[in-house]
Amino acid sequence: MKVTQMKIGQSGIIKKITAPEPIKSRLFAMGIAKNNRLQLLDHTLKKQTWEIEVEGTRIALRKEEAEGIEVEQ
Amino acid sequence: MKQIRAVMVGQPNVGKSSIINAISGARLHVGNFAGVTVEKKEVTLQKGEYDIDIVDLPGIYSLKAYTPEEHVTKRYLIQEEYDVIINVVDANILQRNLILTLQLLDFRRPMILVVNMVDELEEKGGKIDANMLSTLLGIPVILTSAKEKRGVDEVVDKLIEVYEQKVCECKLYYNEKIEDEIEQLSQILLQSPHFSDPNLARFYVIRLLENDEEIYKIVHDLPIFLELHEALGESIKRLKLEFDADSVSDIFADERNAIARSIVMQVMIQPQKETLTDKIDKILIHPIFGLPIFLFFMWTLFQITFEVGSIPMDYIDETVSNFAAWLKTILPAGDLNSVITDGVVPAVGAVIMFLPNILILFLGINLLEQTGYMARAAFLLDGFMKKFGLQGKAFIPLVSGFGCTVPAYMAARTLKNPKDRLITMLILGFMNCSARLPVYVLFIAAFFPTTSAGNVLFTIYVGGAILGLIVAKILRTILFKGEPEPFVMEMPPYRFPSIKVLAMELWIKAKLFIKKAGTFIAGAAMIIWFLSSYPVNEQLQSQYEQKIVQAHSEAQKVLLQNELAARNLEYSYLGQIGKTIEPIFAPLGFDWRLSVATISGLAAKEVVVSTLATLYAVGEADERSDTLISKLRENIDFKTAIALIIIIMIYSPCVAAMSTFYAEVPQWAWRAFYTIYPNVLAWLVAFGAYHLLKILGY
Ligand SMILES: Nc1nc2c(ncn2[C@@H]2O[C@H](COP(=O)(O)OP(=O)(O)OP(=O)(O)O)[C@@H](O)[C@H]2O)c(=O)[nH]1
Ligand SMILES: [Mg+2]
Repeated sequence: MKVTQMKIGQSGIIKKITAPEPIKSRLFAMGIAKNNRLQLLDHTLKKQTWEIEVEGTRIALRKEEAEGIEVEQ
Repeated sequence: MKQIRAVMVGQPNVGKSSIINAISGARLHVGNFAGVTVEKKEVTLQKGEYDIDIVDLPGIYSLKAYTPEEHVTKRYLIQEEYDVIINVVDANILQRNLILTLQLLDFRRPMILVVNMVDELEEKGGKIDANMLSTLLGIPVILTSAKEKRGVDEVVDKLIEVYEQKVCECKLYYNEKIEDEIEQLSQILLQSPHFSDPNLARFYVIRLLENDEEIYKIVHDLPIFLELHEALGESIKRLKLEFDADSVSDIFADERNAIARSIVMQVMIQPQKETLTDKIDKILIHPIFGLPIFLFFMWTLFQITFEVGSIPMDYIDETVSNFAAWLKTILPAGDLNSVITDGVVPAVGAVIMFLPNILILFLGINLLEQTGYMARAAFLLDGFMKKFGLQGKAFIPLVSGFGCTVPAYMAARTLKNPKDRLITMLILGFMNCSARLPVYVLFIAAFFPTTSAGNVLFTIYVGGAILGLIVAKILRTILFKGEPEPFVMEMPPYRFPSIKVLAMELWIKAKLFIKKAGTFIAGAAMIIWFLSSYPVNEQLQSQYEQKIVQAHSEAQKVLLQNELAARNLEYSYLGQIGKTIEPIFAPLGFDWRLSVATISGLAAKEVVVSTLATLYAVGEADERSDTLISKLRENIDFKTAIALIIIIMIYSPCVAAMSTFYAEVPQWAWRAFYTIYPNVLAWLVAFGAYHLLKILGY
């Protein structure tokens, strides 16, 4: 399931990250890595910007990037 | 004395600058968001026989530097000379932070690990075993809290200890297969006569395997490059096959993540409590209420800035006028009297008057920075800003622009994409800096009813921001085609701002402001006074003196005296300059005095106010101590005042800001564009507004 398909408050384990470099490395440096636990915290009204929590870090990202992160419950 | 040079390295917002402040009593700027420090800063301290030089570097998420300010750090780490690395990590997010630590350990250089913010972790019920962590990593580990000044002295002790040992006892290795490849490639590199250090070779090889361009450039010129390049290709192919991965970067990423995770499992007792941040965020970044709440905060800030800041304003204004009048009577008549009472005192007074407003505005910006709300605002505004070709992160430099444009230009370094960065910098001037606040408050106080003053001020600031967004959109569609960079930003937990830090920041601001008023603005006022008092037209003087003697009534005398003063002023150098530039501003209703004041604002925006104060003081002969506000009302009409406010909002910022822009943007074309377009735009908008108001009958 993609992050953008999750409901607020739902969480899961990150399985796959698809993004071009150097964004992929950036996501990873912020803790968005395989096997880490991810929780969806919030999104803006138009679902353009998303907020997730991974291993204690809250991260804001756009729809385009959020779509590239797949989680498993 | 022994010299030690240590570098502070760590991910953003872990408290690097705070620790330096705690150790040395320095006053580096701190704030609760990623990207506070954007250039290197050095602090020196002494301990025993050691002279210690600590270099504070911008936070860096990973050695794969992403934004320009991260490149500053990376370049420093690779190219400069230093003895010890102080790696700072945030205890609350140890796992993520350790990934950078592992990359730094690849250097195999003397290093210590500072685990900061333990106060927060313990408060939540978590705990870290420093001894265990030290054993696993092979480097000294110190638990600290910069907030409570815990453990910070130990940082210096350990630093000296590691400096004396000179070696890194790091025992961490990657998967055997990876290490084999590293070993093979290192051997090739070590064949080169320039290379004798196996640790450095290992580091370079790891970076090369991760496709690090900067290291590539370094080894590119070595004679063994061809051989190395070929072997590297083979190794990468083998590793990708072995680990079934898309790139070696991914392999290292997984590898480091796994190591970091297992270390954290061994050394850390995880906190249990739900944090306050989650609860606050439920309201403050609520999908529907978030944005209105943000606007309400901003509106309140400007209301308070005007309302509360203006309480002492009239009082200061009057005191200064009385003080100048009093000085006039006790100082011997002549040039000295005049330069002080007409030149410096009114000018400096007119600027000092706004200190309360400026401090309130800075307090607001500081709260935004210290609490962690800044990142939330960026989150809320991202979608909106994207429509204008910007991204949410640009909000941070834009908000700093409300304080001062100079650091705001620097803060734009946190934007990766050069186009995004340039657009942001080109519109930053429209974010009204605090130096312009005196001009606005003065004109609002003179031309608007007090009931709507706060709203007018808010409108000016919002107007500037909206204009900036529109210009950004135009630049994006015409000159910088393409999408803004992706938006990925860390949201720090909310932190209660420390009263001490807030007070300190305000105190520094107040001191700087008073110093600027006492030196730069006083100096500018003296120049303005001189230019407006010389040369003296002897003929005119004697003509009028005769007329004054012959005058029949007191009233007529005063009238003639004022007329003389006004004509002398017109005859002065400044008057002549003013007359020359007047035609440019005449279509906006400016007389030559306003024109001169506007131009003088290029030196610093407060100078607009001080110049007006001087010009109106010199231009009046009588001893009546009129306040500046009432003089403005007499001499300027409403639509001209509006045109002036618009000019100040849009035209070029001060020279200090302009030179910062030139330093940050090397391209001549952009520098030229930046220098010209705001002034043209300012004139056009002011012209439009002036004539619109005229048609409406103002
Ligand atoms: N509770 C607590 N807060 C801290 C501690 N150290 C720093 N802070 C806060 O953490 C935030 C970040 O501190 P900075 O010193 O600006 O962090 P930095 O690492 O220099 O950040 P960048 O320059 O952006 O890389 C500030 O709000 C500090 O007040 C600590 O030990 N405990
Ligand atoms: Mg810092």
